[in-house]
Amino acid sequence: MAADPTERPATSSRRPGLVPDVVDEPEQLTRLRHEVRAFITDQISSGAFVPVVDGWLTAWDPTFSRALAERHWIGMTIPRAYGGHGRSFMERFVVTEELLAAGAPVAAHWIADRQIAPSLLRSGTEDQKHRFLPRIAQGDCFFGIGMSEPDAGSDLASVRTRADRVDGGWRVRGTKVWTSGAHRAEAFFVLARTEPADPANRHGGLTQFIVDLRSPGVQVKPIVSMSGLAHFNEVHLDDVFVPDELVLGRPGSGWAQVTSELGFERSGPERFLSSFPLLTAVVREVASGELPAVPDLGRMVARLAALHQMSMAVSWALEHGGRADVSAAVVKLLGTTAEGRVVELADRLGAQTLRPSSGPPVDELTRQALMSRPGFTLRGGANEILHGVIARGLGMR
Amino acid sequence: MSPVVADPDVVDLVDALFSAQSARQDSSPSASSDVRLDTDFWAQLESLGLTRLTGDVASGGSGGSWLESAALLAAAARHSVPVPVVEHDLLAGWLREEAGLAPSTRLSTACVLDLDGTADDVPWAGDAEEIVALWESEGRWLVASFDAAECHVTTSRNVAGEPRGTVRIDPASPSAHEVSSSLAGLFFHRGALARAVQSAAVLQEAVRLSVEHVATRTQFGRPLAAFQAVQQLIASSAAESALCSAAVDSAIVHAVRDGWRDPDLAVRIAVARSCAAEATAVVVANAHQVHGAIGTTMEHRLHRLTLPALGWRTEFGTPHHWDEMLTEHAVQAGPDGLWSLILGSAT
Repeated sequence: MAADPTERPATSSRRPGLVPDVVDEPEQLTRLRHEVRAFITDQISSGAFVPVVDGWLTAWDPTFSRALAERHWIGMTIPRAYGGHGRSFMERFVVTEELLAAGAPVAAHWIADRQIAPSLLRSGTEDQKHRFLPRIAQGDCFFGIGMSEPDAGSDLASVRTRADRVDGGWRVRGTKVWTSGAHRAEAFFVLARTEPADPANRHGGLTQFIVDLRSPGVQVKPIVSMSGLAHFNEVHLDDVFVPDELVLGRPGSGWAQVTSELGFERSGPERFLSSFPLLTAVVREVASGELPAVPDLGRMVARLAALHQMSMAVSWALEHGGRADVSAAVVKLLGTTAEGRVVELADRLGAQTLRPSSGPPVDELTRQALMSRPGFTLRGGANEILHGVIARGLGMR
Repeated sequence: MSPVVADPDVVDLVDALFSAQSARQDSSPSASSDVRLDTDFWAQLESLGLTRLTGDVASGGSGGSWLESAALLAAAARHSVPVPVVEHDLLAGWLREEAGLAPSTRLSTACVLDLDGTADDVPWAGDAEEIVALWESEGRWLVASFDAAECHVTTSRNVAGEPRGTVRIDPASPSAHEVSSSLAGLFFHRGALARAVQSAAVLQEAVRLSVEHVATRTQFGRPLAAFQAVQQLIASSAAESALCSAAVDSAIVHAVRDGWRDPDLAVRIAVARSCAAEATAVVVANAHQVHGAIGTTMEHRLHRLTLPALGWRTEFGTPHHWDEMLTEHAVQAGPDGLWSLILGSAT
């Protein structure tokens, strides 16, 4: 089967696999897991947080983010020269896994840490790096992302927000949607059209801007989810001035910049652990005899264990210079489906109305998760898009 | 930290060998789906040291690890070349070494006898010249090798036409060697992991074959590959197959790193088998769906991948068995140990 040439053959076959080979976790990473776990246990017992489903999207807690930053667990992969900690992506991976598995409130710094910092490092100017990276690593600078628009969901290349050249910068006009945390973040990345749309080159003429959310002309309106929570926003940009020094990368190369980070965005542990705190709560009830010990639970454990291996293998390959769009799409497709199956399992057992024996309320978690579930397989590339990415990787399109 | 992989020379060698043998098989197709052992090819494997790949060098083996063995099993499976390597090397050969029995080059299979001296569904029982048996007697576990002529074998076949058989032995053997009671569990787990390796390989190949088929088959004036509905079926298959391979590879890496007596290995094998069962369901259904009716014929190659996958799925433990076992582990781990269980107990 066709695959990225940078991906090595799988252990059990000489043919290149769709996903890179599994890797063995060295002791040093395991020790780091234990450090994070000890910290989490302290935080939970001191009442700093209660485990939630989808904590990377919904649980905005700057105090917790700063506590992580004090332990150097934000901006881990940012070089020391920019105020970061010069750690490896695998170190960041295990810290992230531990936090997500525990349902920790990591939403405030999430976008800045996962996407903004790597993009700045790759495409930013020295001035931009010095301006934002040290504060991101300190847990003091939170970001959002402005990609989707009311008329551009999965088809991102059709964005209509436009930026026109003016003296000393650009004037940006348009509407972005699904920008999580825009009402609390300091700035966001905006993908805008800087040249007229060309049907022959749909991906050309797009540029990324760093837009201060406090700029005149920015209006943030909450989008209330069916859960009643409002972590998403619609952001209107009404002739917002963006100075030249806040253009990210080269004008016109916005598409390549945006898509180059997709491997990291799609293969991470947030793509299979969003509902894990619910599974933990279900196991608590099964262990105490409140819910039945069904084989579907074991099946779920197996799937998550394999997804952990796969996600880690893709991260390793990414860190070692491979592009992994296809294997990341595989992780995200299977992982987000598995997240939904956790919710399905809990609900089929009756967890929605179960009075919890102890620990976080399993009924409340189930209800939260039932409402979050549709989003699992939509955000960051809908499953139908991922099927297409995989089909292309197999040489079918 | 880096991927753990088999010796690439071995990987290339076995792929070339089984590819050539597959071509020979195809040149004289059989009208029946019954699988037969090509004894000339087996002799060739033996001369290359591949029939006792994981055997101790001191007793005539090749000293390979499970990584190399997995490469061999995968090559045989994806080229649809039936050989009793699991039985002869990983089970019978291993049992002989564990029990301190003399090595044998005669074709062997192995089984665990029940209290009546019977074992069902013993692979290649009718072809084996020797049967290495493991049984419990008055609280002691014993191993002995029997000449096939001394055993009563009733042959049968699994759903893929592979030889199986019920073996009856009078185990009052004077030359039985006592072994550790843990061997029966290990025997089962070794067989289970080997079947998972074979399954992962045929599923990968079924996906490859599906991709090939939809690229060349034209309907409504377009290749099938151009239809999104078809792409989705194959993308789902490819994803499931990749997840299965990740789970299987990780169990093998675990076995090679921590050894077969590591208590967590059973969990890794259960994970591999559970994922393989799931992948078998999706890949078999979707591969047949995209191949259309031709894929269901004796003439077409597809059933030589899909039927073994279905047969192996319930050998050395059913999917239900592995799922239940993992449920028990999850309950024992409890809410505080669940995450560690998923990562592997060492972490």
